[in-house]
Amino acid sequence: MKKNMIIRLSNLSFSYPNGKRLFDGISFDFYPGEFYLIQGASGAGKSTLLRLINRLEEATDGFITYHGKPLTDYHAPLLRKKISYIQQTPAVIRGTIRENLLLPFTFHSNRDQHKPDDETLSRQLQSFHLHGIDLNQPVENLSVGQLQRICLIRGLLLSPEVLLLDEPTSALDDGSARVVESKAESFCQTHQATVLMVSHRPFTPTMMKPRKIKMEEGKIREIT
Amino acid sequence: MTSGIIDIGPWQLGFGLLFILIAGAASLYHSLHLEKDLLIGTVRTFAQLFLLGYVLKLLFDVDDYRIVLSVFLFMILFAAWTVYGRIREKQITFLMPVCLSMVVSFFLITFMVTAVVIDVKPWWTPQYFIPIGGMVIGNSMNAIAIALERLLNEMRSKRREIEMKLCLGADYKEASVDIVRDAMKAGMIPSINSMMTVGIVFIPGMMTGQILAGADPMTAIEYQIMVMIMIVGATALGTLLVVLVTRKRCFSPGHQLLLKPGS
Repeated sequence: MKKNMIIRLSNLSFSYPNGKRLFDGISFDFYPGEFYLIQGASGAGKSTLLRLINRLEEATDGFITYHGKPLTDYHAPLLRKKISYIQQTPAVIRGTIRENLLLPFTFHSNRDQHKPDDETLSRQLQSFHLHGIDLNQPVENLSVGQLQRICLIRGLLLSPEVLLLDEPTSALDDGSARVVESKAESFCQTHQATVLMVSHRPFTPTMMKPRKIKMEEGKIREIT
Repeated sequence: MTSGIIDIGPWQLGFGLLFILIAGAASLYHSLHLEKDLLIGTVRTFAQLFLLGYVLKLLFDVDDYRIVLSVFLFMILFAAWTVYGRIREKQITFLMPVCLSMVVSFFLITFMVTAVVIDVKPWWTPQYFIPIGGMVIGNSMNAIAIALERLLNEMRSKRREIEMKLCLGADYKEASVDIVRDAMKAGMIPSINSMMTVGIVFIPGMMTGQILAGADPMTAIEYQIMVMIMIVGATALGTLLVVLVTRKRCFSPGHQLLLKPGS
């Protein structure tokens, strides 16, 4: 049986405020439980596409639907907890690792979510190869690669339906990058989540066959 | 010893210009290139203050609250325009909400002081309402400009952090609560600092003016205390309202940060 699409891009266009057009009338459907690898040259609009799906930006024309309803029909904070976007450059608040991991649970829209305990958080750190790191440690002492993994764990703690990853392995060594990729894959599989990952790194999946998407010259297409 | 007010005549005022000449000479000697500004500043000081004197003379004879309130409103609009011009923000517009917030907060504080604290009857008596309103507006205007500048700068420099919070389900208020707090503090600290140092490090201009004009020092001090408290109150209220309405302008209804970097 064919699954219902979760995200649909309908004739989507985006231009910068200076009038420069990034993409023009693109349409595409994304399905639950699928892993999408988005490729394309720098400036092709990969990050902007993720920002549009997360509604950090507004399309110039056309629209995006989530579960059949336009994104604008949702209260943005509630939408964003379901469609989680992890930025390319890790962003953290001043404080400990615990404070950063639990930050989303201080927001009103996440009050209904179960707040993970220290044991769960420590287990997550271990599974992302962040060994020897204490939850009380200030984030200021961590490397960019470590911060990137902290940000990914933080996003996953909200159990989103759609996970948007913008170059999550750009600051990681090969071993750590592989850990992040396999975590994203297993999240996709176990939660039947939709994962959209922008990456320049050659990616060899072990659990599932990703669908590859190419963005170029203002268009989007699936490559086999 | 003489008591009462000693009138300063045109010759004495002219003699005061000697100080400007000294400043001009220093500017020339050290190539500061401030001579033109000094000249324009001096001419404007004379022209603006004499003009103000004539306006106040006319205004103090007015017996119509509508005229007094119109002058008060004009002063606020001019202050709002000055703040707006100083900030030079191009991506969002906030002149109208800033104006409204300033009108609400400044009117409330000035009204409280004249109607309740000094208990002038009627409360809009121009001799009280206009100078007190002027002090409230003048002092709070600087605080508002400082707070707004801080708010908009931090919104830009902490864009990534704000968007990170939005991505994790924060609404625009939750995503910018720290920035609002910092901006409020930046605006309020100068007036709180002057409460700490008044009478020790400096003698306030208004009090000096009253004493020179022949008032009893204790009366001048009572007025000064009232003015200092009033300014802190007006600064807090004005800054809070202006920062909150401007913060709202920085975000779209979809909780998107509208300020882009580098502008």
